[in-house]
Amino acid sequence: MNIALIMLAAAAAVAIPALATAWAQSKIGAAVAAMLAEKPELTATAVLLVAIPETMIILGFVVAVLIILRTGS
Amino acid sequence: MIVPMSRVRVLGPRDRLDATLSLLQDEGRVQLARPMQDGRVSKLAADPRAGRRRHQLQGVLNDVDEALSLIGHPAARAASGSAARTTASLACGARVARRTVREARTLVARLRDLTEERQLITRYRDFFTEILPAIHALSTSPRLTAQVAVVPAASRSLVDQLREALRREFGAEFSMMVHGLDNGDLALLLVLPKPFSERLEARLRESRVPQVPLPAAYAELPLEQAVPRMIARLQAIPGDMEACRLRLSVLASDRGEDLRATERAARDWLSAADAHDLCGVTAHTFALEGWLPAHYLPPLQQRVAREVGPEVVVEEVARESWSAADAPVVLSNPRLFRPFEQLTSFMPLPSYGTIDPTPFVAVFFPMFFGVMLGDVGYGLVLGAVSGLVWRRSRPGSVARNIAAIGMPCAFFAIIFGVLYGEYFGDLGRTLFGFRAIWIDREDAIVASLTAALGLGVMHVTLGLVLGAISAFHSARRRAVGRAVSAVMVLVVVAALLAAFHVLPRQLFTPSVIALLICFPIVVAAEGLLGTIELFQAMGNVLSYARIMAIGTASVVLAVVANRMVGAVGSTVIGLLFALLFHLVNFGIGIFSPVVHALRLHYVEFFGQFYSPGGRRYEPFARWRADQGIPPHHGSVA
Repeated sequence: MNIALIMLAAAAAVAIPALATAWAQSKIGAAVAAMLAEKPELTATAVLLVAIPETMIILGFVVAVLIILRTGS
Repeated sequence: MIVPMSRVRVLGPRDRLDATLSLLQDEGRVQLARPMQDGRVSKLAADPRAGRRRHQLQGVLNDVDEALSLIGHPAARAASGSAARTTASLACGARVARRTVREARTLVARLRDLTEERQLITRYRDFFTEILPAIHALSTSPRLTAQVAVVPAASRSLVDQLREALRREFGAEFSMMVHGLDNGDLALLLVLPKPFSERLEARLRESRVPQVPLPAAYAELPLEQAVPRMIARLQAIPGDMEACRLRLSVLASDRGEDLRATERAARDWLSAADAHDLCGVTAHTFALEGWLPAHYLPPLQQRVAREVGPEVVVEEVARESWSAADAPVVLSNPRLFRPFEQLTSFMPLPSYGTIDPTPFVAVFFPMFFGVMLGDVGYGLVLGAVSGLVWRRSRPGSVARNIAAIGMPCAFFAIIFGVLYGEYFGDLGRTLFGFRAIWIDREDAIVASLTAALGLGVMHVTLGLVLGAISAFHSARRRAVGRAVSAVMVLVVVAALLAAFHVLPRQLFTPSVIALLICFPIVVAAEGLLGTIELFQAMGNVLSYARIMAIGTASVVLAVVANRMVGAVGSTVIGLLFALLFHLVNFGIGIFSPVVHALRLHYVEFFGQFYSPGGRRYEPFARWRADQGIPPHHGSVA
């Protein structure tokens, strides 16, 4: 049971930031598409803008790894 | 690095102004600026003839641009030397441009019409061929006539109803032939007695069934004449189109260079006119001011003295008299680092007097890429692709720069691949028994994460140190704050490592004491904002965990690709799947590290020291058609 809860916590640590990242990227993606329609030369900046919210999922991933490792699962 | 600039002042007799401007334009190194306020110098009075001429030349340039675009003349690579055209030859060039635009417009419009005609006839060709016998038969019948209509795909179900309704109205002599078109529409041939012709048209309008749109040349002809002509015409259209294209290419070869010369001369004249506007004068002298890279000043002084005369003087304005914010920025980096200016160019130019991040990007970008990809096989493939692009691209092009960036990335991917023991994932281990020298990324997640965060500590600390150096001259307190913040990042890491027994436990207390000493210094130097930036820097370090996450994902995908061989029944199919999966992983393995390495630089690293807002260096120079901008634009070799 304990292991199941730990795994659930680790999964939540990844899943919730993943959803948040997806939501943020959807908003940024739409704005960036509009920006590119007017200024195609900003493609590289656009790719970076879309990549920025990925920090959340990266941190979620780190937390998940820590949860698993610290509990010895 | 950012090239040191000199603000220069050119003084001389007014009768030497044009000669001086011509020399400066030939030299192409000085970015002209409005002279500093001085009550003795006034603006050069506007010449109304120059205004009219400027207007005329804008018109000429519009014609030239349109003509070159229509005839498709490529910009010549080596066309940098401006043809010194006289007023008469420029007027001749303007006439050529006008004539060429007129002829090219006609040819392009003809090509467009021919294309539309071919598309229209091609669309209905099968239908026309099918109805041709019926049309011929009709031509012998004085009582009957025919019309062609097209029913959109969405209304196909209406055809049967329409047939019944029309048969009831027009009697037994009415008939309908239906032909399906490629896009799902239905083409109809409607045969009926001649007296009902107008009523049929009315019924078709009511039913929203349009007639087949015949090309304009055949719209007025009876169908029995129009259809055979259209089918025959289809054979002749390609020849007509080819003749138009041939004429356009003849125009390009005959007049292209002439138009380019006119373009260069007109743009040079307009550029010189703009330079006149920036000129200050007294009753007998002129004064020009501008910027140029400091190392070009002595050669310019010598050339002016030699070619214009010793009475024209080029002098350097004292550094105290100008502000760094006004100086344009020129980047100059060693040849090996220069391609990486492509990556820093995605950001605004750094302010003059701050730090050009290109050398740091040139070192850390390929390294981070290699740490993330870290596979000998993928590295070799990337190196081969980069080498191929390098060979096929021309010097200075974007493709050449990308290849030049790709090669060090491939080098680091191979180096870290050896350290991780990865050759297309675990293929090297399975086939040849290769082992990881440093970290086995498949298993040692903690070691991999620690290494990534260690890189983050090093990179962010370097950024803080650069921030301190950058602020040293302009804001000493901020410089102190940045330097102490860099120390604090290191001390926090030391304290954490001591707390987790990685470093001796005895280091913990001194580290905490050091933090307690540093904290008020940061607050005193930068205010509360400094502490927020400090915590942000700590968060930035954590962001480097993505290096480990992407690396782990890359190796796991490669391992999964290798498992495909055994997982599918047939070895050959498994091998194909594995190759496909490796190809996909290679694509992801290139894209993801590039984006994330760039992000780590732009957000986490540049955030500590980068000061954007530099002005682009746009020297007064001869027009170059191959770049569309004057030479030495923004950077110098």
